[in-house]
Amino acid sequence: MTISKHERRLVTAVWLVGILAFWEIMAFILKYVVKSEMASVKLPFLHTIFITMFQNAGMLLEASAVTFSRALLGFAIGAVIGVVLAILMSLSKTLERIAFPYLIISQMIPVLGLAPIIFNIVRDMNLSRIIIAAYITFFPVSVNMLSGLKSVDQEKKELLYAIAASKFNVYRKLMLPYAMPYLFTGLKIAAPMAVTASILVDMLGSKSGIGVKMLYSLYSSSMDIFWASVITSAILGIVSYYLVINAEHFFLPWQSGKEGETA
Amino acid sequence: MSETQIQVKDVSMVYTNNAGEKINALDSVSLDIKEGEFISLLGPSGCGKTTLLRIIADLLQPTDGEIIIDGQSPRDIRIKQEYGIVFQQPVLYDWRTVRRNICLPMEIMGVPKKERTSRIDEKLDLVGLKDFGKKYPFELSGGMQQRVGIARALALNPKYLLMDEPFSALDEFTREKLNEDLLEIWGKTKSTVIFVTHNIPESVFLSDRVIVLTPHPGKLAAVVDIDLPRPRRNELRDSPEFFEYVAKIRKCFQEVKM
Repeated sequence: MTISKHERRLVTAVWLVGILAFWEIMAFILKYVVKSEMASVKLPFLHTIFITMFQNAGMLLEASAVTFSRALLGFAIGAVIGVVLAILMSLSKTLERIAFPYLIISQMIPVLGLAPIIFNIVRDMNLSRIIIAAYITFFPVSVNMLSGLKSVDQEKKELLYAIAASKFNVYRKLMLPYAMPYLFTGLKIAAPMAVTASILVDMLGSKSGIGVKMLYSLYSSSMDIFWASVITSAILGIVSYYLVINAEHFFLPWQSGKEGETA
Repeated sequence: MSETQIQVKDVSMVYTNNAGEKINALDSVSLDIKEGEFISLLGPSGCGKTTLLRIIADLLQPTDGEIIIDGQSPRDIRIKQEYGIVFQQPVLYDWRTVRRNICLPMEIMGVPKKERTSRIDEKLDLVGLKDFGKKYPFELSGGMQQRVGIARALALNPKYLLMDEPFSALDEFTREKLNEDLLEIWGKTKSTVIFVTHNIPESVFLSDRVIVLTPHPGKLAAVVDIDLPRPRRNELRDSPEFFEYVAKIRKCFQEVKM
């Protein structure tokens, strides 16, 4: 049987408290034992960061909203492109052979280099964020979706073949639903990456967004704000991941049930 | 009732395996199957019984010979959606509940919604899964899953019911129970059933005729008429007549020195 909900919560709680305690202890050692003069820069106390976050909540939320909403839009666009590409490649072996090398190459261009290029072309910060987030998203989505479409059991297909189902119906009733868990695997990988990409674009000279806060605070040596922005960014990534997990539980109830059985 | 419905004419099937050798899966098999008949294709693995079933279902094309069903080809029958197939595995769609799994072929065939619901209810009742309609496949035991597979095939009211070792993955008790259930269900539908198995008592219990196939190459060794009264219940398995048929068929295999 699977571990109970109660136990799972306990594990999470212990884990979280452990990390918080570790951080605080290390910060304490750095400041009072090692007596590092840069202690508050290298590793400030976690509670001071939280206090800063709380004091600047409005500013941080606003900046997060800018970055996160663009990331989300780019993520959605990238996901759609990824799914469509996967379906096309599963329909035509030739198309797969033509397209796949391009897909691989596209992932070899570092986003750090691509982002300024895109920005120079479109000259719009929001659009750049969206494009880069989409660019980051489409690849894991496409590859995972395609592997899902390709791993449908022969017998499941024969069941439909035996009653002369149309290709459209084979995709609608079998291939697409079958590939859904694979799609979600791709989405889970892509979501935090899309957020990171959006933050990266912030840093290219945007006026708003959480990446900007991070960069400016670093230059102006306001370390409290810097650390608060970093933690906020991390939270954005985690939130994006859990949004996908929740969507998966909602849309694929049989999947979470199965995992519960075998775990 | 006694008219020939399916003609298997000199059907051969030759595979080339990975090593490049030719494998004779079926060697010139001929067979007539009557309308409403329950026949078993019986033999050890490698005798081509599943191959023959798949050729009849138009899932495979024979290298030689042909199959004529009511004057048409297997492909015509498939396009007309007159086959119901039950595989060795239940082959359920994980993302569909039991009810929606049974519903699937009817959706493809465009059965009206109201009729779907009533057929699902009827077939669920028939296979004894009335209270499990809303469950997902992973929540059911292997035997129950197989029943869903059978209900799904039956819901089409297929003219031809093709079953490929449907109970081979189940334990003996479940198998005997499902054998009995299958006969009861078949009694109500009167489809022509072609049942592939490697289990001699199972073939005797179920069939009007047992087609004995022997391997390397897959050849028709004997056709045994089973003149046991219907309806058949599991008590029949303890009768001397039943044992006689089992012994007789076993002998068929010994004669060809398996």
